[in-house]
Amino acid sequence: MNFHRVRRLSSTLVASQLRSGRSGSNPRGFFGRAVVIALADVALFLVAFGGAEAVVRTSSLTSAQLALLVDTTAPLLPLVAVAAVLVAGVMFELTATVKFSGSDAANWLPITPSEYVAASSSAIAYTYSPAIALFLGALLPLAWAAGVVPTYALAAALSALALFEGAVLVEMVRATTQRATALGSGRRGSATFVLRAVLLIVLILAFNLAFNPVFLLGFLQQFSSVSILTALVPVFWSTRAISEWVGGATYVGAAFALGQAAFVGMLVYLAGELRVRFWVPAPTEVRLSAPSPQRGHPILDALGLSRPEAALVSKDLRGFVRRREMLPTLVVPIVLVVLLFVEGGTIGRFGSVLWVGWVAGFFALLLAVTSIGQERRSLQSLLAFPITARAVLRAKATSVLFPSLLGAVAMALTVGALFGFSPLEYFGLVLANGAGAVVLALWGLVFAARFSDFQDRPRPQYLRPGAMLAAMGSGMVILFAILLPASYAVLVPSPSTVVLGLEAALLAVAVGALALYWARTGFDRLFRELPF
Amino acid sequence: MALEVDGVCKSYGAVRALSNVGFSVPRGEIVGLLGPNGAGKSTMMKSILGLLRPEAGRILLFGQDVLTDPVAAKRQIGYVPESPALYEFLTGGEYLDFVADMYGLDVATRRERIAQFLSGLELLGHENSLISGYSQGMKQKVALIAGLVHRPRLLVLDEPLNGLDPRSARVTKDLLRNLASHEGVGVLFSTHVLEIAEAICDRVVILNRGAVVASGTVATLRERAGLGGSGLEEVFLALTGTGDLSDVVAALSH
Repeated sequence: MNFHRVRRLSSTLVASQLRSGRSGSNPRGFFGRAVVIALADVALFLVAFGGAEAVVRTSSLTSAQLALLVDTTAPLLPLVAVAAVLVAGVMFELTATVKFSGSDAANWLPITPSEYVAASSSAIAYTYSPAIALFLGALLPLAWAAGVVPTYALAAALSALALFEGAVLVEMVRATTQRATALGSGRRGSATFVLRAVLLIVLILAFNLAFNPVFLLGFLQQFSSVSILTALVPVFWSTRAISEWVGGATYVGAAFALGQAAFVGMLVYLAGELRVRFWVPAPTEVRLSAPSPQRGHPILDALGLSRPEAALVSKDLRGFVRRREMLPTLVVPIVLVVLLFVEGGTIGRFGSVLWVGWVAGFFALLLAVTSIGQERRSLQSLLAFPITARAVLRAKATSVLFPSLLGAVAMALTVGALFGFSPLEYFGLVLANGAGAVVLALWGLVFAARFSDFQDRPRPQYLRPGAMLAAMGSGMVILFAILLPASYAVLVPSPSTVVLGLEAALLAVAVGALALYWARTGFDRLFRELPF
Repeated sequence: MALEVDGVCKSYGAVRALSNVGFSVPRGEIVGLLGPNGAGKSTMMKSILGLLRPEAGRILLFGQDVLTDPVAAKRQIGYVPESPALYEFLTGGEYLDFVADMYGLDVATRRERIAQFLSGLELLGHENSLISGYSQGMKQKVALIAGLVHRPRLLVLDEPLNGLDPRSARVTKDLLRNLASHEGVGVLFSTHVLEIAEAICDRVVILNRGAVVASGTVATLRERAGLGGSGLEEVFLALTGTGDLSDVVAALSH
């Protein structure tokens, strides 16, 4: 392995990640350099350190209490590091568009698979290192005051190793899913896309849930002896090493730490092998069964859409299933609904109703804000077609509302089944969820029309970050202003709550109408001139 | 007249992209829009489509201002952009079907036309594959078909032969000639390959730094540049002030 080549490739991949999310600014400027992540690490570390130091100084905790805090927290740090990198990596690295996945050049440059894996894993670990810097900064003053700095040092070292371990796991998944996403090669039939999407969604879902604390702890509690489990599963070895160290079993701790390092080394080897075996360097030719020219879109035609509008909706709906970068968006509601099943018992009927209403609205908002930006450079073709801005708005609203409303109804039925709702409650819930989704979809389109980002990037952001924050913040306020009274009216029907429900309905109509007006003017403006 | 461009000005911030540009494309003629990189060719073409709004001047399509009824204007134009951004998650066939829907073509017509184009440009057998797996040339062919499938009365083609194999390039050139001479289609055609421009264009318009520096037939331009026996390349280099390149070549050779 040529370490100079690994380091060079790694820093290039980091720069690529950093620069991919920014437009219009100098790519060689301060924020486009790899060192900015190290500085972010230091800054986060210092901020957390300062905060924790102040707490330690002002609190009345004894050294023993602080030591107990460190001893119980430190073993979890490596687990947090692996989880953070894995979840972020699976969500963002695996769904990057293939041509930007940062690995294309490795197909023709003189780089060995192991070198690529080492470089890419280092880049991923480095990119997500701020996640752990914060924890390490917060823990140091506590460890210092408690006099358990060696425990802290061991936790810090193993956390760094865990970051790399998580990154190598991401690389392994990337290599195998490359082959999974090429499944359609040479086959015929649209089912191929569904299969591909399901595979990736299941994968993303599995990682999201597997490293969700609620799931993880629930899973661990299934076992009578957690210590046996942590001894058998290598991902827990760092945690076990620190626990053993804290318990005074220094040699056992050292053995687990060495075992963890050896395991990571084996993962690097395996990842290299997987890349050799499964990597698909060129975009594969995916064939579908021969379609005859379409004779319309019966469902969409029934909604009163014109032929071009229906064609646009049909195109967008296909994109949801076929575009790899859209999958994290589709996974969001699934993860949140699965979490409801896990936590439904603790948040109760009202909480669950609010939860699904929030998921439905959030999903609609997410789809809406990304609906224009996902056209990217194709917007030029769209603007060149003989179609009006209003027609595109109708099409985009439909393509957002179609899956959102389906999701809203499905979630209402799910939560209804979970809590045994009456037909009237079902109806009210579907209505409230549907209204929330419609208003949020229109609200999202207001932002999409004005602040979309059309840049081709490894991680397409579709909407400018500031606008995304504003859309999410304002959208959530609107959503809860509608959902809270509406849910209350559905679950606790009385004359006063019905009035609340009517007020929520009025608010939904008013905000919806305002959003529709702003979306229309936004689309008119967007269609006046190509924004790039 | 298929297209009349008169006094068009367009700026991007402080950069003047088009400066008082004027030319016309008669029905049944192929007009080459030539110029160095950054001369303003693509900006001009996007302005014709109504994708960009000039600050001054007017663009008439068959006598109507393109901004009066942009949808009607777009229906009459076939456009192939410089770098076609196709929806790569669709198959070639699905994309063309989508385009046909956009132009309101009925099923029988689109089936016949798309099949003809796919066959003529040797894409038959690939129409059910995702565009993401296409080569650059195949994508260009899909973009070309998308620009031609609705039988437009004016073609605005920005480097349409990019990446095409010799056979397809020949088919396209001959097709453009036929459409112009037999169907009366006006063609505005930009290319950097001056041999192609010389071979198929009835007239050429040379843009440099956003302004028209010359227009007319190739023979007229030769005379104007005082390069009677020269090819279009020498005329182009002389008119765009590029001058003698031997020093540049010599420096690059070392």
